[in-house]
Amino acid sequence: MLENLEVTMFYCLVMASTLGMLLYWIWIGSKHEFVGRLATYVTIIALLANTSAIILRMIISGHAPLSNGYEFILTFIWGIMAVYLFAEVRYKLRSLGAFVMPIPFLLLMFIIMSMGPQERIAQAIPPALKSQWLTFHVVTAMLAYGAFATSFGIGIMYLMKWSREQKAEKFQSQGIVSRFPALDILDELSYKVVKFAFPLLTLCIITGAIWADYAWGTYWSWDPKETWSLITWIIYAGYLHARSMYGWRGKRAAWMAVFGFVAVLFTFFGVNYLLPGLHSYAQ
Amino acid sequence: MVENSNSWSDRLWRAFSSMKLGLALLGIIAFVAAIGTLIPQLEQEPEKAKAVGQLWQTMGFTHLYSTVWFSLLLGLLCINLIVCSVQRVNGIYKRTFKLKPPSKLEQIPQKNRMVVQGTFAPLQESVQKVLKQQGYHFVLSDQSNLWSFIAIKRRLGNWGSLITHLSFVVLVLGALLGSILGFKGYFMQGAGSTLPIQSIQLSKGTVSETFSVRINSAEDRLLPNGERDNWYTNMSILENGQEVASDTLSVNHPFVYKGITFYQANFSNGAHFTAAMKGQKIPVILREQGQNYFQAPGTDLYLIATTIMGSSTSGQAGASYQIYKGTGEQPVQSGQLTSGQTIDVQGTYQLTFDGTNGFTGLQVKKDPGVTVIWLGCALLLGGLLLAFYWQPQVISGTLQSEDGIQGNLTVGALSGKVSGNTRKALEQFVSAVTK
Ligand code: HEM
Repeated sequence: MLENLEVTMFYCLVMASTLGMLLYWIWIGSKHEFVGRLATYVTIIALLANTSAIILRMIISGHAPLSNGYEFILTFIWGIMAVYLFAEVRYKLRSLGAFVMPIPFLLLMFIIMSMGPQERIAQAIPPALKSQWLTFHVVTAMLAYGAFATSFGIGIMYLMKWSREQKAEKFQSQGIVSRFPALDILDELSYKVVKFAFPLLTLCIITGAIWADYAWGTYWSWDPKETWSLITWIIYAGYLHARSMYGWRGKRAAWMAVFGFVAVLFTFFGVNYLLPGLHSYAQ
Repeated sequence: MVENSNSWSDRLWRAFSSMKLGLALLGIIAFVAAIGTLIPQLEQEPEKAKAVGQLWQTMGFTHLYSTVWFSLLLGLLCINLIVCSVQRVNGIYKRTFKLKPPSKLEQIPQKNRMVVQGTFAPLQESVQKVLKQQGYHFVLSDQSNLWSFIAIKRRLGNWGSLITHLSFVVLVLGALLGSILGFKGYFMQGAGSTLPIQSIQLSKGTVSETFSVRINSAEDRLLPNGERDNWYTNMSILENGQEVASDTLSVNHPFVYKGITFYQANFSNGAHFTAAMKGQKIPVILREQGQNYFQAPGTDLYLIATTIMGSSTSGQAGASYQIYKGTGEQPVQSGQLTSGQTIDVQGTYQLTFDGTNGFTGLQVKKDPGVTVIWLGCALLLGGLLLAFYWQPQVISGTLQSEDGIQGNLTVGALSGKVSGNTRKALEQFVSAVTK
């Protein structure tokens, strides 16, 4: 019963987020206010469906959603949509949706294409994963990664608008980028989002270390997942420093936000699917 | 700082105070760390790591994170961070605690500036009242015809980046402490046995302690729904044969004695038998899946246990056993026993299954650096929060009067990293003063 409801919620999430993405695209091309509002509402529905799916899963399995890749991706998507919607409402930045929403869409397609029903169901977790620290670990990761996805979207918008403006002297029209906020506003926003995410990523790494120390007595063992989260952390630390010290704003900062998120994705997927490691329970 | 000196030490100092070097080091560390995830590491995949080319192994690529040159990189970064911090600490101190009120109008920040006109004395009073109300620390100056102030709020925010940087040094020191003074090891023992701590298998460091560990019980507990609850071990610490401490540990609930921590890491089922032979009773403890065997004295009969079920799983405890003769590949006898049951083994001895006996695998670790690590983590997080969410606000102002009655108040705010907030703080201040 609950299982069926959970699966239904998952497909609601798939439909709503796909529709949301398409609506953001239509909106950005057509400039119909109604379509834009619809895009936002549909995305809110997607977030609600995602929330229900996660809560139902937690009720069914009796633990935080971290027993397999399916659950990780659902929480990752939740983080992305939640931070994105917050940014949209807070900074009136609807055009960002066209660049952020494809990420949850691709993640959901990844689940549908590569995970059979057996890989999606709730699994028992080994005793080592029964720890409150791990819940903090997942919540902080979810928000930090969601925010990094958002800054990635902003970075892409910046780069598009920038290259269009370089050419704009030749061609008069700017096309869809005319709907984007000014370059320095995008730049400042991306910075704000990274500033929000960086302490969270730090906390995520720290809670992971505390848990590992409880579970097997090593707070840091340089397994690939840990190492890649450290690399991600260093990239964003570089972003913050280059920005405040060398005035690396604008284009370079946008590129760093994009690369940072590539490192996030690698930590998330590359490590599980391309590299072997201790975090193998996540496979 | 002597800027123009070119002595060797000064040049070194300057090199290490550069943020370019710091960022380059961070970049190199990230790059090298990434390489380590592509090459199999001895810690995680010993077999694969040993198959890597000899040259690479010698250069340390298969134990990259414990090589001297990786430590050297971290050490250089620490020196860099310390030098940077030393260089900045005085400036930060002055900007935080030794603010000087402006002595002329030009010193008021131009970008965010507002002017208020009113009566001199009430304005002066109002400024001080509002500064207090809004939580500013302030310094006043009263010169002949210029009254001025400078005020700062959330001043600890100035220390955020310094604390963050030093926390990294603290973390590295914690790790160093752990690797010099600590050890790491593992043992697997059956319930009822005693083991001197010195005899565990070590993977790092050496053990100087002399106590013994007795495993009182080891249990694999399942939940009613069949999922594993946890593995539990009840153990005692014996100093010179005397029990001095005792506790039950499980995965995620370690036990600490004198700075040495025992972690539940593994579990294996075992069983307790008695072999009765020629009027003699021999106690036998076997681990399941034939991890060890019993050879009856004076015979070539070997006994192993294949599977062992605890009483919690299926009501009654049970054990399946096999007997091998000599080097024969097929068992000459096999079967299942329930608790208390006795059978005859090849007419040679009587075997009684007394009950299950868990084997517990414990990770043992001593790391005096861990507290330092948690301190470093707290500083890191605290520093970040201060740097990002507790940004200081500085406002300064002058009050001038031509005739001693009317006053001209000029206030300005030093813009922080988020310029919108600066403007808001200034406007808030001015509107409160003029109310
Ligand atoms: C270990 C990794 C590092 C971390 C986590 C870190 C963190 C930070 C943070 C959070 C800030 C404040 C940034 C802001 O307000 O925008 C900062 C500023 C700064 N960092 Fe780092 N940092 C690191 C390494 C370094 C290194 C290696 C150097 C150079 C030696 C350095 C030099 C500076 C300087 C000069 C500032 C400017 C301080 C200011 O604006 O008041 N940092 N750092």
